[in-house]
Amino acid sequence: MVDPAATQQFFDLWRKQFEEGAATWARMVSQAPPPSAPAMDPVAFWRPVLNSGLEQWARMFATTPVSPDLMQQWKQFLDQWVEAWSRALGTVMGTEQFAQMMGTSLDQWLTTVAPMKKAAQQSVDTALETLNMASRTQLTSVARQIVELEDRIERVEDGISAILKKLDELARSAVTAR
Amino acid sequence: MGQERFADVVERFTNGYGDLLAASAPPERVKQWQEEFDRTARRLGNLHRLVTSPVEPKTGQTPREEIYRKNKSVLYRYRSSRTHRTPLLFVPNLGISRPYIFDLLPGGSFVEHMTRSGFDFYLLDWGVFGPEDNGLTFEDCVTKILPRMASRVLESSGTESLSVLGYCMGAPLSASFVASYPEIPVKNYINMAGPIDFSKIGLFGLWLDRRYFDVDRFVDTLGAVPADLVKAGFKLLKPTMDLSTSINLWWNLWNDKYLEGFNALNKWANEYVAFPGEFFRQWVRDFYQGNKLVKGELVFGGRPIRLRDITCPIFVVGAKEDYIAPPAAVHALIDAVGSREKDYIELPGGHISLIAGRGASLHCWPKVSGWLAPRS
Repeated sequence: MVDPAATQQFFDLWRKQFEEGAATWARMVSQAPPPSAPAMDPVAFWRPVLNSGLEQWARMFATTPVSPDLMQQWKQFLDQWVEAWSRALGTVMGTEQFAQMMGTSLDQWLTTVAPMKKAAQQSVDTALETLNMASRTQLTSVARQIVELEDRIERVEDGISAILKKLDELARSAVTAR
Repeated sequence: MGQERFADVVERFTNGYGDLLAASAPPERVKQWQEEFDRTARRLGNLHRLVTSPVEPKTGQTPREEIYRKNKSVLYRYRSSRTHRTPLLFVPNLGISRPYIFDLLPGGSFVEHMTRSGFDFYLLDWGVFGPEDNGLTFEDCVTKILPRMASRVLESSGTESLSVLGYCMGAPLSASFVASYPEIPVKNYINMAGPIDFSKIGLFGLWLDRRYFDVDRFVDTLGAVPADLVKAGFKLLKPTMDLSTSINLWWNLWNDKYLEGFNALNKWANEYVAFPGEFFRQWVRDFYQGNKLVKGELVFGGRPIRLRDITCPIFVVGAKEDYIAPPAAVHALIDAVGSREKDYIELPGGHISLIAGRGASLHCWPKVSGWLAPRS
């Protein structure tokens, strides 16, 4: 028979743990941690209980013919299954028919997108013009001009560098000639 | 009577449970199970943290300085103890993804490896282009950006020559530059997973074939290639990738170190970058559809691009399971150049496994630095 005193003791312990756990959770929820504090780990509180439970489960499972190698085998099976699917899909996607189908779908999509994009662009431009604001097209145009300006400045810099280099060479040859 | 029977059942059950707990099981088996359960508990804890309080991974931590900026493109210098005099200019892909993959995390960074090996490392970050850059072409990159970047490397390092390393699309870009600018002395050239012969490019080659893909219509309609479309293209190339990533994540979720690496790599893998429209047009038409680089039919800025004009020592690295730049497409550089000293290695793994991850740091990077060191 099960000892009633031992059972009571067990239930008291369980109730105490539950109450402490609930209080901790309540504290966690009500008090937001300071921004610099690391994130709380709710598993950490239950770790001793969890470990004790896991130990018991481990002992139970250890008496069965099932071993943890089963997990490894399951992972290998999943990997092989995914690889087989990958190969099968690769074979299908590597056909001329698939490429043709993709090209046709893309064409159809572009046929839909082009007029929509143009209409949206026009309506946004009109709205911004009404509000006396610069449109995306105008901003892009300004940005493009800045990029071109940067290019020109660099070309001028290159030209000046080349002239300075030549002058330097001339000065050196003049010194040598003297 | 009924109550007594019920009590008997309870007693039998509790006794049995006790027996089961007390049952002698092989200690190794108990330990194995304990480890398995503990891993699962840690998986759940990490999953909870991953969902409720995700941490932004700190990528790109190796100290660097900006040397030069041209429009969106920036040249960065990563200083080293400089055991080797010749600096290295690293040219990555333009568009598609951000270059912090090369300096992902301390202890798992290609940049860090190269600087620790004594190379002054210069990274060309092409940048994120906007609609104002839609006119930028592949030719502009080869004739306007790369020569300037290389000159700035020489100025900044105070040397007469440099080594160039092209990764992925950075290889055809830099190979075109090295072949057509003999006035910039390139001492060594390395191609890592960069496609050269586009007749062997695989699925992308088929999908972008001119019979099925009208690049002019595509660019004329969209102006640029949006990041979402770039993402869709790469996801389609390997549709099961996300599934295997999720399975591997769950399997290794107990491992905090793995999780740190996953966070960083996952951030990078989901941050796609758009292509400027004209760049994409030229990239598809001249490379995927015309295969003009290996045929020697390209002329950029009035200069013919002939790979046989590359005569410096070259090192080519391919990846066996690379479906973006298959090894055959990468290896083609070996036969195309005029160099006498040329080496090729093929490593296990895919396109990214050459540049990030444990395999890269163990097998790829030491080979690259080992090849370059005596030549620098």
